Amino acid sequence: MARLELDDVTKVYRGDDDEAGVVAVDDVSVEVPDGDFLVLVGPSGCGKSTTLRMIAGLETVTAGEVTLGDRTINDVSAQERDIAMVFQSYALYPHKTVRDNIAFGLEESTDLSDGEITETVEEATELMGIDDLLDRKPGELSGGQQQRVALGRAIVRDPDAFLMDEPLSNLDAKLRAEMRTELQHLQEQLGVTTVYVTHDQTEAMTMGDRIAVLDQGELQQVGTPLECYHQPSNLFVAGFIGEPSMNVFDGHLQTTELVTDSFTYSFSAESVSDLDLEEESELVLGIRPEDIELGERSTDEHRFEAEVVVVEPMGNENIVHLQFDDTPTDDEFIATTEGIPSVSSGDRVGVVFPEAAIHLFDADTGKAVKNRRLSFTGTPAEMLQ
Amino acid sequence: MSQSTSRSPIDVESLVENFNYRRVGKYALVVLFLGFFLVPLETGIMTALKTNSAIARSLPFAPPAGEGFTLTNLEYAFSQLTNSFVNSLLMAVPATLLNVLLASMAAYGLTMVSWRGQIAVFALFLVGVFVPYQAVLVPLSQFWNNMFPLARMLEPLFAAIPFLQGGHSRLVPLTITHVAYGIPICTVLFRSYYKSLPNSLVEAAKIDGASITKIYRRIVLPLSLPMFGVVFIYQFTQIYNEFLFSFTLITGSNHPAAPVTLILPAIGSSTEGIDFGIRMSAAFLAALPTIILYVAFAEQFAKGLRTESG
Repeated sequence: MARLELDDVTKVYRGDDDEAGVVAVDDVSVEVPDGDFLVLVGPSGCGKSTTLRMIAGLETVTAGEVTLGDRTINDVSAQERDIAMVFQSYALYPHKTVRDNIAFGLEESTDLSDGEITETVEEATELMGIDDLLDRKPGELSGGQQQRVALGRAIVRDPDAFLMDEPLSNLDAKLRAEMRTELQHLQEQLGVTTVYVTHDQTEAMTMGDRIAVLDQGELQQVGTPLECYHQPSNLFVAGFIGEPSMNVFDGHLQTTELVTDSFTYSFSAESVSDLDLEEESELVLGIRPEDIELGERSTDEHRFEAEVVVVEPMGNENIVHLQFDDTPTDDEFIATTEGIPSVSSGDRVGVVFPEAAIHLFDADTGKAVKNRRLSFTGTPAEMLQ
Repeated sequence: MSQSTSRSPIDVESLVENFNYRRVGKYALVVLFLGFFLVPLETGIMTALKTNSAIARSLPFAPPAGEGFTLTNLEYAFSQLTNSFVNSLLMAVPATLLNVLLASMAAYGLTMVSWRGQIAVFALFLVGVFVPYQAVLVPLSQFWNNMFPLARMLEPLFAAIPFLQGGHSRLVPLTITHVAYGIPICTVLFRSYYKSLPNSLVEAAKIDGASITKIYRRIVLPLSLPMFGVVFIYQFTQIYNEFLFSFTLITGSNHPAAPVTLILPAIGSSTEGIDFGIRMSAAFLAALPTIILYVAFAEQFAKGLRTESG
């Protein structure tokens, strides 16, 4: 067990005649303390898998340093790294039984005797609940069982770090939710430093001690799940984390008012003056669906009128698609309400954007200029940890 | 329509409905080709089983009748070919085994291990596939006779082995030649198979701590057994049936090390003319090992071809 550190790690794929090459991972620095669970999350092609493969030693590192424990492992071969990895496809050896699949790593990387290997394998399979499958071949197992074997193969070696490359994406929804919890328990129990790659923001939110959000090879934000949710550092993180996504409206600032195509939002004087913004700056207003309040029409300065387009009842909550009257395009925005749906398609309702829940982003750079106020004292980062 | 089916045993209506000129044409073509390929074979077998006078008097493809039937042709051909069978197998089996094993290793190194310049090396292998045998015959005999007379060096050794003669040492350079010339095509075959294997298996083995050679021995080799079947059958047939190299390096049908392909043209021809019965018998006996191999490995062959294309 050890801490893992990425220091300005960069990966450039160079073509034969393409001098510049393609930058897959750009200057990523993350630290994973010993025993921590870090989730690398981002859309397809954001470089998260490449980052993981560089940690595993399956890709070379173009620049920067990867440190595991107290040694730099840039030039250490994958065989020598003492890392275990769970692949998206599980990559079980099809010609070997479950027992041999799990024992293979021990045979190759340790000098344990056959007896010790058998014992260790049986312990690991008991832990994973697959001790009755030991003599089967992977082809005879269900997806969930294969997943357990793949995990068993990783834990049996008691490595310095676990790397997981979207290990749950081939399971059906119910099993995925089960395995998610089980994986978390397992990781807590074993206390092994883990890096987990996923494109699923639910997995990222629920599993990780911390999340690293990547986009186009660049690190957008590293923080606890709640930090990323409530204090997104930029527009990308705000849109990526959270389901349904944050609603965004383009606009520009006029003294203390933000003018968008659909509405004019006035801020209380002190909140805008704190931000030190220039007049007429282009901003993006963001608000999470659950922060929007639906109610009677009225004349509150933060209350606007909108038409309900569709209501999707989910049981515990309702996803309400809304549209402003005078929107030039047919852009919709989303609010979620709890309980029995109180509105239906075609209704005209009043929507309230509480000022405390408003995020503001710079339209050019995407950087957050104002995040929502949370109702506690101290710095949000402290409170969220 | 269902009513008429249940009443009369022959449903004329649906027969007429299904009658379709395309289908008729297709089946006619199938029958035609079947005859085209099978009649010569059948004729050959029938000729092998007939006495000379029966061959002269009956239609070539008619089965032997009464006194026209004989097994002497087969017996004679077999006695003539026995030695050359041994020679052919002595050369072809080790050559094929070595060939397949080396080609599989080369393909593994060229496909699943990454190193600089592997494309250039693979290009050399590709060029090797297209080297015509005729172009290398003279250099080949020069090399094995003058530059590196391996056969002559090994002659005393072979003379000491029971059942063999010193002349059999010529099979060694022939075997090596076949291995060398068979590797390129076999490597290409293996490479296409290895490309279809999921890369994550090798990566998983790497992370499990296995070295490059261990990954080959414990993961890739067991997984490529179906492909071994395919390439083995293909290459064995090639080497067993090969004539030019044997002719160049062993020189003639009188040589003690002559393989089947050198003996075959000489059997059954004499000053009195050609004995077709013996010829056909010899031809069938010579083809037997490859046929047995195909039948024995048919399942593996089909499996290998399937995995390669899938």
